[in-house]
Amino acid sequence: MNPAPTFNLQTGTQIAPPFLEAHAIAKSYGGVAALKGVSLKIAPGQIHGLVGANGAGKSTFIKILAGLVRPDGGTIAVDGVDADIHAPDQATALGMSFIHQELAFVPGMTVLENLMLGVPKPQRLGLIDWAAVEVSVAPLVTRLGIRSGLHAPVRGLSAAENWLISICRALVRKARLIVMDEPTASLSDAEAERLLAIIRDLSASGVAVLYVSHRLDEVLGICDSVTVFRDGQLAASFGRGDLTRDRLVTAIVGHAPEQTPALTAPKLADKPMLCVANLCRLPAVRNVSFQVHSGEVLGLGGLVGAGRTELARLIFGADRRDSGTMMLDGAAHDPRTPRQAVKAGVGYVPEERRADGLLLTKSIAFNLSLANLDKVIFGPMLPFVSAKARSSLALETIRALSIKATGPQQPVGRLSGGNQQKVVIGRWLNRRPKLLILDEPTRGVDIGARAEIHRLVREMARGGMAVIAISSEPDELPELCDRVLVMAEGRIVKELKGTDVTRKAIIGASYSGTVQSA
Amino acid sequence: MNTYRTWLSLFARYATIIGLFAMILTFSVLSPKAFPSFANFTNVLNQTSLVMILAGGLTLAVIVGELDLSVGFGASLHGILVTGLIVHDKIPIPVAILIVVAAGGLIGLVNGFIVTKMRVNSVIATLGTGTIITGLAFAYSAGVPIVAGVPEGFLQLSLGRWLWGIPNNIVVMGVVLGALWVLVEKTALGQEIQAVGGNASAARLAGINVDRVKILGFVIAGMCSALTGILLASRLGSGTASAADSYLLTAFAAVFLGSATLRDGEFHVFGTFIGALIIAVGFNGLNIFGAPTFSQYVFQGAILIVAVGLSSLGRMLAEK
Repeated sequence: MNPAPTFNLQTGTQIAPPFLEAHAIAKSYGGVAALKGVSLKIAPGQIHGLVGANGAGKSTFIKILAGLVRPDGGTIAVDGVDADIHAPDQATALGMSFIHQELAFVPGMTVLENLMLGVPKPQRLGLIDWAAVEVSVAPLVTRLGIRSGLHAPVRGLSAAENWLISICRALVRKARLIVMDEPTASLSDAEAERLLAIIRDLSASGVAVLYVSHRLDEVLGICDSVTVFRDGQLAASFGRGDLTRDRLVTAIVGHAPEQTPALTAPKLADKPMLCVANLCRLPAVRNVSFQVHSGEVLGLGGLVGAGRTELARLIFGADRRDSGTMMLDGAAHDPRTPRQAVKAGVGYVPEERRADGLLLTKSIAFNLSLANLDKVIFGPMLPFVSAKARSSLALETIRALSIKATGPQQPVGRLSGGNQQKVVIGRWLNRRPKLLILDEPTRGVDIGARAEIHRLVREMARGGMAVIAISSEPDELPELCDRVLVMAEGRIVKELKGTDVTRKAIIGASYSGTVQSA
Repeated sequence: MNTYRTWLSLFARYATIIGLFAMILTFSVLSPKAFPSFANFTNVLNQTSLVMILAGGLTLAVIVGELDLSVGFGASLHGILVTGLIVHDKIPIPVAILIVVAAGGLIGLVNGFIVTKMRVNSVIATLGTGTIITGLAFAYSAGVPIVAGVPEGFLQLSLGRWLWGIPNNIVVMGVVLGALWVLVEKTALGQEIQAVGGNASAARLAGINVDRVKILGFVIAGMCSALTGILLASRLGSGTASAADSYLLTAFAAVFLGSATLRDGEFHVFGTFIGALIIAVGFNGLNIFGAPTFSQYVFQGAILIVAVGLSSLGRMLAEK
């Protein structure tokens, strides 16, 4: 890399060499490209926004900077010197600090101890001289306005205090770039304002900030420049002057042709299958009301963290609601456990199929029979599993879903992602639930299998099931759903029907929701 | 999967069985008169039957994903309890046995409740209940073994022989392990048991009552612990407060050796049987050759480590 000063092409003025320069960074996971050669420059003291829809590659990029993931290609230079970051402590040594939504503190230790975690501390007679430590951090504490006592345990402090302490920790480590991932997501408006003021103050003192957020208004308000990722590529980069909300949204959504297949309109029953009213589980789900009819596929769209999975877990009894009511097929629906929900006629295909859906070392037949044990035994009085009944049930499902496998006895761990997902869905196929909830039904699934799964889900709906599908992939819901509800920050902010269900409309609504509440 | 991994995987699966046959072959060659006889084989099986019953119950606890360290102490308590009930309280032998097996189930219920409902880590929970159980055993016996007045009928329970001269212990062991094998491998409940241990989260989301299944695992472990205690008291002709404590380690070694047998680090009843057999044959061989006492401890400690190592190796290879 060239450490010499460069010229800003737009203004022609000489600017300081970038603190960080990432060039043509690429990364693939098992053949799926997450980043296809993105570049980004951050000058010292610059507040740089990084935005993009779910799966655009922001997280992967940050992980590469942090030394948590090795890139397949590209270079990173810090202060004009090539840097090979292969461990988190190297990123720290280079002057980069990372603050995430899930903050990393030892809850039982005090604020001061957490601030100094992993940092050399002044010693006296071989013991840590905490008094000297306190004196050394005092100016930072005052500057950031940390009001909690330094000797209070971190456990029990508010999200806002946690952020301040994280920033303080970054400064103690002499960070010159602080990467903040959704910093204001769990803060109140007043707290967010205060944090933004602190970020401006950091910038003035020469500390750069990479500000990753879905909240476009904040990005517009605070950032000197903004980089937009889309589908693992650099979609656009804006300087202060050419930054507008419309341009940002356009860059995030892209001009990809809408390929909305003409879905036949469902024949809906008169009465809804599931009727949810004022459902709450704070802070993830706020006052949600909606209905699903049998025969329709209802999509839940929105950004990651909008509360969709949390909503699904309430309906499936995996979590308890704070308030609100649910009716399933005309009867009150109040499951305390998934078991009760299953008995009431709900099926759930979880987001993390390997962690929450499958027993990887067990056979396809075993995994398929889990929700159908009553179908594979000789009888209620003779609860012995019939290997024959289990095998034929499995064969039937394997054929119905065209699962590619050597046979019912193959361990599911040896199947491809798409076929594994079919096994999780197939478990419910035989049970014929009244309501089936699919959380990210085609994540990590190849295109062919994805189309098959979509066809299958729609067939199940047309057969009389009510289906709720959650997807963070913008293209998936238009392909799959008759109707889409877009959620943002725990609320339903938009309902889209028929030809209005488009990628653009869903992404647009995902962001519009954050404006209303900001 | 490349050939190296395939071979490693095969090794992890069959190492225990190869080891068992290698031991039998070696001992037979070195001691052709004492070792490879029907009498000696029956003797080995008879001696290890009690550990096998204990380990069989323990297998259920580990299949549902928990550890039960209280089963050895439990067996000691149950041994005293059954002798006390028969000798002091003059309760008929079959009734006393039923009471004690129920008591074993009750201890399992308590363990299961503490682990699932109070969310105490099972190692800590059962270490705690195991210690309490030892205290109860001393309290019940006032620290003095119950020796006098044990009726002949009770002694015959363990010392007696079935048809063809097969010792009762072996018969009981066969019935218990057979029943456990059928339960785990062939029933609907067994499917739930395997699912809970394999992936509790997936089992829960498939509509299985995970807590109930886990409690059941502890109850079965407790009942098997009671059976072991009863047979041990009968064999010893007395009830002693710490008679079965040392069985715990052997049972654990058997269970982990079992998980490395034929399957990739998965606990199963037949594997436990093989595991216990390996340990018994090893001990028997050491005895026949007059190996010093310390070598038995070394053997048992080493085999526990090897067992867990093989088990993890198998699991690692299976999950890739």
